[in-house]
Amino acid sequence: MEIPYIVTPRKDTGLFNSKIAIWLFLASEVMLFGGFFSAYVFLRLGADYPWPERTLPVLPGLINTFVLIGSSVTVVFAWASLKMRKWRHFQIYMGITITCALLFMVLKAVEYNVKFHHQAVRLTDYTVVEGHLGYEKENGEYVLDHHGRKIEENMIQIEASGLTFSTVRHHKPWVEELITQAEHRKSEIKLAADVKGRTEEGGRDDVVIAKAGEPLSLALLAKIREAHLDARAHNGALRTAGLRSEWKKAKTENPGKRGWELASAVNVDVKALDEAKKLLTEFSTVSFKVDPPARFDFKPRDVREGATQSRLRDDTVIDGKLLPSPMVFHYVDAIDFRHLAMKAVEKGQDPIDAVENSWLVQNHAFAREAWEWNKAQVAKLEAALLKDYGVDQETGKPKREPTAKERYRIDWKDFVAKSDGVDRGKGAIAVKEEFMGPDYKGREAKETFPEHFSLPREQVRFASKFTPAWNTYYAIYFAITGLHGLHVIGGALVLAYYLFFGRKMYDSNPEWLANRVEVGGLFWHFVDLVWIFVFPIFYLM
Amino acid sequence: MADTPEAIRKSIRTYLLIGGILFAGTIITVMVATVPALDIGHHGFDVWDAILGLAIAATKATLVAAVFMHLNHEKKTVYWIFGSGLFFVFWLFALIGLAKKDPIHDPFFFGSKSTTPAHMTTPTRR
Repeated sequence: MEIPYIVTPRKDTGLFNSKIAIWLFLASEVMLFGGFFSAYVFLRLGADYPWPERTLPVLPGLINTFVLIGSSVTVVFAWASLKMRKWRHFQIYMGITITCALLFMVLKAVEYNVKFHHQAVRLTDYTVVEGHLGYEKENGEYVLDHHGRKIEENMIQIEASGLTFSTVRHHKPWVEELITQAEHRKSEIKLAADVKGRTEEGGRDDVVIAKAGEPLSLALLAKIREAHLDARAHNGALRTAGLRSEWKKAKTENPGKRGWELASAVNVDVKALDEAKKLLTEFSTVSFKVDPPARFDFKPRDVREGATQSRLRDDTVIDGKLLPSPMVFHYVDAIDFRHLAMKAVEKGQDPIDAVENSWLVQNHAFAREAWEWNKAQVAKLEAALLKDYGVDQETGKPKREPTAKERYRIDWKDFVAKSDGVDRGKGAIAVKEEFMGPDYKGREAKETFPEHFSLPREQVRFASKFTPAWNTYYAIYFAITGLHGLHVIGGALVLAYYLFFGRKMYDSNPEWLANRVEVGGLFWHFVDLVWIFVFPIFYLM
Repeated sequence: MADTPEAIRKSIRTYLLIGGILFAGTIITVMVATVPALDIGHHGFDVWDAILGLAIAATKATLVAAVFMHLNHEKKTVYWIFGSGLFFVFWLFALIGLAKKDPIHDPFFFGSKSTTPAHMTTPTRR
């Protein structure tokens, strides 16, 4: 079958068909990205925390902008080459375009990767600390867990004496993990008491399903779970049947009355059912003891810790003492008091006082030192701005003042400036740092970055890597750039198809291929167009 | 319309020129955002920086759309299709204004004493 209007325009639209199609698609894309950009504006205007403006390293974004603009030019050239019937030129330009797409994605991957390995924590008083977590060490050697992996110094450690599982909700991999952790600590998890009850209607009510002392296993939990589900189904059916007959009775005894008038009088007598030995025993939870009590490590996101009792996300209750489980930063990249200052202003307090009374400044010598240093820098900046721009005649205030970021955020570049006489980094180090963040090893001077920065668990309000979970800025950043990245991949695949499989079409009908490349190019320009907005909005504002 | 090989050969220079302008525009955007001497408005980022940055971005986007995507000499059908997409995006942004101007203050969420949350009454200017 011949496809119509691939080269010649249709009379009514004046265009070949695929061009109409791509513009319809681009119109829908405009609305899709428009939705995300408006979400960005909405999130930014409504943010109840200081928006992290100009927080991303500019250089990778700038290079990516150049790469995309360059590829936009080459894709036009590729199309023009086809129109002029120069196959070799088309190959070269299209090859450059696809190389640019690959380069873009590699840079994007580096950027994402750096964020996913970068830790942030918000303390209870809204101080934010950023950096990299360390691993547990003993006598200079890394401590390995039972999997042979290094242990991140961000684990919740509990000296557990008892575990209570939800028979229906327990997460199997976590149960297995608990078993192996107990083995590793030379402890055993055993059933605390006999699991017994009524398993059939009219039967004895002390039928033992599992004996006290049986070791924890998935098979054991499955057995109890099965008994529980059987009992629940049985009891549910009994209650439903009872309710149905009660309703029938109430309806016949009170003709003409509405359902809602009768509802409060219609009930199932559960107690009577139980006394008649009709109900079976449900086992919604099952308790184990840890013998002897042993230390278990949990990832912070999996557990809600308490002094004597903690709970996993799968409703497993852990009885036992919470051990000191500090969060230890191997290196700190930034100390940010902006959120704390904002909260202080909201409460009508002096933000500087709030910072100076913050837990971090009070308890960490380095933080105190850095804060004092930063205060002096801000004072210098204030004086310089006053000298350069003067005072506003109407308000009597200086025309230009340091920003909140300058006042309250001390980041790694400040740490570098603070440690006087430090190796400021040869060109290569400085460029690498623009992509990967501070190069702790490349900068030789000691005490540039605070090491082994310990934060007690009770001071931690929320911790996360720089993922969408950290705040709405990163959520919308990953949403928009991720979606854009998918478009880059999709566009590159289509253009690569024309490059590698287009020769046959070129030989049979070169104009057809030219039109296809034009349409693919239109999509590619659109991808560039989106990035033209993404770059200033996320990197520079 | 730049469809004949001769016309295309002529427009190659235009494409190069536009590419150059796009590169230059990007450098200007970065410079006004990072070089203190070029900072307009207040010190640091503020509404003027946003307006300037977005104005440059919009100019660049217009150039890409007009020249690379040939919107400067397209058929009416394309304008209608693309325009309708832009129309909806415009109203989507207008909705934000509406949401800011007429917010929902839920006393259950924000507490019965204050109907307006503190951060909404604080002037947003930094």
